Amino acid sequence: MAKLAIGIDLGTSNSCVSIMRDQKLEVLPNAFGEKTTASVVAFHEDGSITVGNAARANIIHDPAHTVSSAKRLIGRYHFSEEVRKAQAICSYEIAEGPNHGVRIHIRDEDFSLPEISAMVLREMKQIAEARLNEEVTKAVITVPAYFNDNQRQATKDAGQIAGLEVLRILNEPTAAALAYGFGKGLEQKVAIYDLGGGTFDISVLEIGQDVFEVLATCGDTFLGGDDFDDRILDLLADGFVAKEGINPRNDPFALEKLKVAAEAAKKTLSVEDEVEVRIPDVLVGEDGETRSLERTITSEEFGELVQDLVGRTFKVCDEALQQAGLTVRDLDGIILVGGPTRLPIIRDAVRNYFQREPQADVDPDEVVAMGAAIHAASLISAEQDAYLLDVTPLDLRIGVAGGLAEPIIERNTPVPIEQSRNFSPFQDFQESVKLKVYQGDSRQSEENELLGQFEFSGFTPGPRSETSIEVRFEINADGIVNVIARDPESGQQASTEITLSSGLSESEINKIMSRDRGADIRVSEPETVMVPGDLDAPSFEASASVAVVTETVGEVVEEEDEGGLELATRDDAADDLADIDDIDDIDEAELDALASEVVDLDDANDVDPNAMSVSDASGSADDTVPLDFDAVSAEEPPGPAIGKLKLKTVAMAPELPTAPGADKDPNSSFSADDAAAQEVKEDLFDRSDDVDLSGPDQEE
Amino acid sequence: MSDLSRLEIEALAKIMDELDYYRLLNVEKNVSSRDLKLAYYQNSRTYHPDANRNLDASTQESCHQISKAITEAYCVLRDPRKRQAYDAQLEADGGLRIQLAAARAAHARTESDRRMGTTPQGKQFLLKAEEDVRQDNVSGAIQNLQMALTFEPGNAGFKEMLEELRKKKS
Repeated sequence: MAKLAIGIDLGTSNSCVSIMRDQKLEVLPNAFGEKTTASVVAFHEDGSITVGNAARANIIHDPAHTVSSAKRLIGRYHFSEEVRKAQAICSYEIAEGPNHGVRIHIRDEDFSLPEISAMVLREMKQIAEARLNEEVTKAVITVPAYFNDNQRQATKDAGQIAGLEVLRILNEPTAAALAYGFGKGLEQKVAIYDLGGGTFDISVLEIGQDVFEVLATCGDTFLGGDDFDDRILDLLADGFVAKEGINPRNDPFALEKLKVAAEAAKKTLSVEDEVEVRIPDVLVGEDGETRSLERTITSEEFGELVQDLVGRTFKVCDEALQQAGLTVRDLDGIILVGGPTRLPIIRDAVRNYFQREPQADVDPDEVVAMGAAIHAASLISAEQDAYLLDVTPLDLRIGVAGGLAEPIIERNTPVPIEQSRNFSPFQDFQESVKLKVYQGDSRQSEENELLGQFEFSGFTPGPRSETSIEVRFEINADGIVNVIARDPESGQQASTEITLSSGLSESEINKIMSRDRGADIRVSEPETVMVPGDLDAPSFEASASVAVVTETVGEVVEEEDEGGLELATRDDAADDLADIDDIDDIDEAELDALASEVVDLDDANDVDPNAMSVSDASGSADDTVPLDFDAVSAEEPPGPAIGKLKLKTVAMAPELPTAPGADKDPNSSFSADDAAAQEVKEDLFDRSDDVDLSGPDQEE
Repeated sequence: MSDLSRLEIEALAKIMDELDYYRLLNVEKNVSSRDLKLAYYQNSRTYHPDANRNLDASTQESCHQISKAITEAYCVLRDPRKRQAYDAQLEADGGLRIQLAAARAAHARTESDRRMGTTPQGKQFLLKAEEDVRQDNVSGAIQNLQMALTFEPGNAGFKEMLEELRKKKS
């Protein structure tokens, strides 16, 4: 019986794991001694998978088979703007799955986003287990406060696939506030400014001793550190186009090099006033000549590049303060979260806006995982030490006639909460009523996120004025939405979570777990830094490359002699970087030395890299006999008795796996059979809602 | 977890539907916003789903129901406009619960009543006053508003407008 529960900050770019034991909080470093691990999954030619910083190093070798920033896609529909945007900049293949879901197509396999995220979570779980020498099965996982229900559900599914019991889905800013204020008995109002890799969130909290009340949370899911990188990338690429007349964006390898260079340049600008980007041989022109890219970027120049992005964050701050009914003067503290908040331009702008020095004693990369760990420990202990009163970030809406969406629960309403509405059919003697549930702030239904579609039938058909169905909308403490329908006449009740909207039913998760690609994950240990990658592009084959972890700079820096890139600050910090000219020059002994040196930097728990080595290949996907879906479903207990009111949950799954029969729900009373699923697909944009809002709350 | 809290939870779950928001949160009708918040915190410590996760499933469910009701009560009472609408509903014996959207809508109607007048005469003199304002006849507008106020002496919207006009005149 595992008695440990960890907190995982599952980030867009990096993830972090932490634990609280005996009132002591620690961030658990990976085998390299790094406290954050890249949220990147690399799929190798031989079927093996690497996760973490080694996988990130693989991006420039094999961009098509290395998945990064999966968090931007999780719980999204394939047609969504975010997916379209990601398709433009991602080198891996984003495919459409069943029910408008998103799949990552790698060689012959399709992966759902929860599966990809599960690989990252499993890595974090294993990092924790290696450090703690104990099995870990329980976790609190954080999500951006602005995540909608589909994204939360998908993240929860990812946890389950990774073999974790998800104790709570916790909002990142709330976690940060907990890490800041836990056990201090504070009476304060604080703002959490959370600029992550892919999202921006601001939360305003009131801390009253052991109670952490979120007053308001606002966010922008289209704004993050990645956008800052993109601005640098554009600067580099445009400069290159102007000089050479070739667009490096059209070459996937050049593009990945630019991305890495842009991110590294941004990080350098967090500590230096100027960065010199050099990418020797960024690409080969049509004339066969190799071209290099060189560009110096000053922090002033960078500031101008991203000024509008920074400005956008403060518009969101205005909104949050207004919703909380506060002004900046009412605040007692500002907490910065997320790597990009290390940038001096962000810190200066935050200081100006809030007229206050941000909290200096909080590490922006670790604070969220720490808060999650505190909450995890609290949830498995006998005594409750902190009470989190969170809010729902988005309006919960119901589709009504005319393509409109009426709010049922407004954003920034505390959770858990339940609200109800009575519905009457559109026509007399109508036999079923279809409901569409949305999240978002628009009156126009199609501008909101569709959470799910429900069809209620089986009530006694009659004149519409005499027929009524009560539908209750509940948001629980995880921020997850449930819809409960009731026939007020008979009092019969049926309920379901809108789980199917975000994709994976229990049996589908089991199916993924049984195909268990997790078993193919190579344990990341210092040795595996030397991943040769999958060099399937001829232009790149010539150049051997190596990624070296250097503790001096605390990040993975790629140094290559051919087709690689170099980064240096003016005072030439490059000297500090391990300088390896050619992979052939390194022998095994040197490698081992390097590996052990890296490990030695961190004395914690004497982790022996060999002790954790290599996964058991016996459970690989190909050996696994897929579960017989129908057989499984026949054995599963039927859904709750629903009596007179038949509740039909129609699958609207963006994340349904592609396994045969996956579009069948095993739970017969909630069944969305093939025909229904097909119908929903066609209905997705059908705005001819046959539901009409009525009932006392509307009329009186 | 003690039996006492389990009994407390089950007892409250049973009678919860018969309590108005004030009694549910155990506060006075005239509770200040600060004390309301403290009561919400205190209730959350007792009934928060996290606080009772070690209880049996049925008590946990009761706790969850109470927790939702407490949140709803707090949401209505902390917002002066929703609270006003709720108080009006209580006074009219219109039920112990109010949906948040309904409370907002009810208040919006009160607001517009307040601005438009609630009596035919009040409305008529308000219209005249507004016409005077458009024609820059401040004195006429003041007279008409004073007339409107004789029919609706309690109309705060009229009073506000009259106050503004008087400032404008002086």
